[in-house]
Amino acid sequence: MSGSNVWSRSRERLRVFPELLSQCAGEAAVYGKCVAASTTGKQELKKDLCAKEFEVLKTCFTNAARKRIR
Amino acid sequence: MDRLGLGLQVLQTYREMKKRQKNWAAVLQDGHQYDYLRDEVGSRVADRVYDIARTFPLALDIGGGKSHIAEHLTKNVVERLFLTDISQQTLKVQRQSDIPTQRVLADEEFLPFRENTFDLVLSSLTLHWINDLPGGLRQIHQVLKPDGVFIGAMVGGETLYELRCSLQLAEMEREGGFSPHVSPYTAVTDLGNLLGQAGFTMLTVDIDDVQVYYPGIMEVMTDLQGMGESNCAWNRRSMLHRDTMLAAAAIYKGQYCMSCGPSAL
Repeated sequence: MSGSNVWSRSRERLRVFPELLSQCAGEAAVYGKCVAASTTGKQELKKDLCAKEFEVLKTCFTNAARKRIR
Repeated sequence: MDRLGLGLQVLQTYREMKKRQKNWAAVLQDGHQYDYLRDEVGSRVADRVYDIARTFPLALDIGGGKSHIAEHLTKNVVERLFLTDISQQTLKVQRQSDIPTQRVLADEEFLPFRENTFDLVLSSLTLHWINDLPGGLRQIHQVLKPDGVFIGAMVGGETLYELRCSLQLAEMEREGGFSPHVSPYTAVTDLGNLLGQAGFTMLTVDIDDVQVYYPGIMEVMTDLQGMGESNCAWNRRSMLHRDTMLAAAAIYKGQYCMSCGPSAL
């Protein structure tokens, strides 16, 4: 397959993933801590337990992605 | 009979998928950058060959890939080598070696050799993809001469547990359930039993730890893909949700980051 196609564009997006995530290190840490706490604490890990923290992370990530495209 | 037929069909697709992944990995422009693990383990297996004070007239390296073991051996130790792999593209990319080598396109589960042929069988980082491991080990035992030696290095135990746990926690929190992304591995204790049942005697089974540090989960997965080691379990999900990927990356960094300061914890 030559030229740009959905697979090469997909791979390119994934390639910049770590760079974008590094711009949201704080938000990622907060989310990570929330999930980690559930593995040791009394609360069992279930869906959307850390939804608030994840939304913050996702917003940061999406903004970083948008900034990069410009 | 129907269920047996379907089962065999599923296993064939599984091996077919693995073949395609390995073919893809073999033709990557910069594929050599993913060889580090196979190189390291290959050299360790070669060390074990030297430990045995013998010359092996005829040896077999199954699932040998680009040949990561033979380059560390000399003609004094192994006089002639057969190397098999399931991936034709990988066989085309061969390392230089002192030892005259014959490459054979073959599946590890269906060795095309007669009984009592080889003095030495080698296997490095390939047995974990064999569907029927007891059967595979029995075949290895069969193609070996009565006083033959089998030296193998196999992925097992706690391999990739950081990846597995991060994905599991992320899928649980984001999607409410999880599916297998990392194959289950054979435990060391089980391996001893399997080798014994296959007919091997004078067993030595031990654990070698190879620790590799990665910046994050994406780098782990990219490298695994480059090694031709992507998931191909028959019950795998065909996609990883974007949000789950982001969640898993955050969890991985939080739990397993070596160079992060205490503030990240």
